[in-house]
Amino acid sequence: MPITFLVPGPLRPYSGGQARIVVEPSPATVADAFAALWKLCPGIRDRVITEQGHIREHVNVFVGNENIRYTGGLQTPITDGVEIAIIPAISGG
Amino acid sequence: MAETSLIGRVLGRYRIDAKLGAGGMGVVYRAHDQVLQRDVALKFLGEALAPDTRQFSLREARAASALSHPNICTVYEVGESGGEFFIVMELIEGKPLSDLIGAVGLPYQSVMRYGAQIAGALAHAHGRNVVHGDLKSSNIIVTPEGLAKVLDFGLAQRLPAERPAEATRTMETLESSGTVGGTLPYMSPELLLGEPGDHRADLWALGVVLYEAAAGHIPFRGRTAVEAGDAILHAAPPPLPAQIPPGLVAVIQRCLAKDPAVRYQRASELQAALEAVQSATAAPAPPGDQPGFRTTVHRGIKHLQVRDGDTLLLVGTMKGIFLLRSSGRQRWDVAGPYFHGQPAYALAYDSRAGRHRLWVSNCGIWGAFLRSSDDYGRSWTNPTEAPIRFPADSGAALKNIWQICPGRPSEPDVIYCGVEPAALYESRDDGETWSLVRGLFDHPHRPRWMPGGGGLTLHTIVLDPEDPQRMYVAISAGGVYATEDGGRTWQARNRGIRVVHAPEKYPEFGQCVHKLVMHPARPDRLFLQNHWGLYRSDNRGESWQDIANGVPSDFGFAMALHPQNPDWVYIVPMESDEFRCTPEGRLRVYRTRNAGESWEALTRGLPHKGAYETVLRDALTTDTLDPAGIYFGTRSGQIYGSTDAGRIWKKILEGLPAVVSVKCAVVGEKRASRAPRASKSVRRKT
Repeated sequence: MPITFLVPGPLRPYSGGQARIVVEPSPATVADAFAALWKLCPGIRDRVITEQGHIREHVNVFVGNENIRYTGGLQTPITDGVEIAIIPAISGG
Repeated sequence: MAETSLIGRVLGRYRIDAKLGAGGMGVVYRAHDQVLQRDVALKFLGEALAPDTRQFSLREARAASALSHPNICTVYEVGESGGEFFIVMELIEGKPLSDLIGAVGLPYQSVMRYGAQIAGALAHAHGRNVVHGDLKSSNIIVTPEGLAKVLDFGLAQRLPAERPAEATRTMETLESSGTVGGTLPYMSPELLLGEPGDHRADLWALGVVLYEAAAGHIPFRGRTAVEAGDAILHAAPPPLPAQIPPGLVAVIQRCLAKDPAVRYQRASELQAALEAVQSATAAPAPPGDQPGFRTTVHRGIKHLQVRDGDTLLLVGTMKGIFLLRSSGRQRWDVAGPYFHGQPAYALAYDSRAGRHRLWVSNCGIWGAFLRSSDDYGRSWTNPTEAPIRFPADSGAALKNIWQICPGRPSEPDVIYCGVEPAALYESRDDGETWSLVRGLFDHPHRPRWMPGGGGLTLHTIVLDPEDPQRMYVAISAGGVYATEDGGRTWQARNRGIRVVHAPEKYPEFGQCVHKLVMHPARPDRLFLQNHWGLYRSDNRGESWQDIANGVPSDFGFAMALHPQNPDWVYIVPMESDEFRCTPEGRLRVYRTRNAGESWEALTRGLPHKGAYETVLRDALTTDTLDPAGIYFGTRSGQIYGSTDAGRIWKKILEGLPAVVSVKCAVVGEKRASRAPRASKSVRRKT
């Protein structure tokens, strides 16, 4: 089963305007899923992760309802059909 | 020169073997380079060309010889023999695209492939300030390997002032001889109207070539040159054949927009769009990205109408960018916010090589990106990948871009950026690609630099206008560093600058420098606003002396120099490290007219009660006019300006988000050799 990325509004210029991007075949980890997403939407990559491969400080990634910061980061395993949401953190001034 | 007399002759190292053809710009021969043992093409700029045209062509050829790209016919050198000038070029085996097109056009896959290659060639040339000027299907050669090679870069006669005459001449002579440079069917509306035109005329011409390749005929036709010209100016291109994918149709239509501002603004954008439609038609599922995503177009906000001679203020705030324009410095039009919601620390205006380019870095939760606009903010580049990135081995990640510094006028493709964490980046191709200046990043002091209040940042870059090897940077908190060898090695230059945040008062480095300025007429002298302390160096930063003579506080951030008088420095003192606001609630700019011997308060028109304002390090600037305009922005969102070197101030604007940066430009001015020498007497207008 493919998995689906939920793309927030500010990143939709890089997803052809789409809020949902489906990635297949089913990846094993969040890192694999991202690698597939970057291929489809290369403009999203540098806006979500730094050049050192870390999720940006004020960006959160959820697999289902779980923030991957607490479930193994990019190595978080994923199951078929899951939704991965990219959501900007509550921050700013 | 008769061709028979040339074949078999040896000119310098070249033996002429055969005639290949003749075109509007001269006769081309196959020749053999006897030194390098390779075949080359020799183009003689025919005797028919007027001497000044020939000189111009040579100048252009020299510019074109700087180009090196797989889709550009390489110009090796310009030679001269017995008064005959010739251009030595790569010999290309292949057929002109015009011969391949035929009556029904090429398969659309080939149109996209060649189109992306040619757009790549244009992007390379435009990035080096070379426009083609006469792009057409007959000067694109397709090799047996399927490579499109563009010929005659910059060889078209492109003296802007001659444009109208040339267009007229072309229209008159097109059908009779067809030998005049700048070919009518490929000429853009603006060129036809006698306007100077720019690189976007090449994008129009490529649109005509793509249309021609897709349809089998050029888009704008007429029985006479006048009719054809009329079609170029007014007619929509006829519909393309039904089998052409809509994505490609859209790309061609955008190239053929009558208004250059509606076309792609950069060849690199057009290349990306063609590559995107290529992969969209090749892949079974369309990718998420769409052609054209590399541009951000700001709609629904008021834009500026900018004319030559206007003064522009670029205002970076914590929540976006505002642009201000004035023709007499009294009334200001305001546009923006651009990139609303995103902090903009660094802004720059680049007028080198005829550009009018705005640069901006915006940063936020999605990272820091450098963008530029050639149409005063209507559209901005939007890079797919972050162009400034730390190498993997550095372990560092870009947090913010604090300074954008266009290089010297003699190096119009060079740009520097100062970033956080503290590092210097350099681009030598007009901002397309960037590299970390390792000489500074690998400096043994770097591990002991400490972050200041704003982070560990390289925020100021000062170029020596006379010595291209010498430049200075200021780092909070690392101090001043200088290079004398173009960035390979760097030395700390902080002797005499006091620190308050460490037990050692005069360390070799570690100073929290807030601003560093140099007047182009006095490159040996630097002024510096420190975390505490005002300093001057008369020996390129080797040593510093305190010049805080009579200021209410020597704490502050901003510092600027009078555009004409190198002895005049402007600062806005802040009360203290703890209370980073104007002392006593009075907003005062201080000015010295004697290089720091004494300072005077400039207060007329500025609030003197309850004004607890902060002016940040990049939020004070000057224009280049006489009398000088001085401008600053406050953290409370106000912009003040003076048009008499600081004597009287006026509030220009209020109600903005917190102002971080104010930069000024006078549009269309000639900057070269404007800086007066220090030895000359200067007008004292206050």
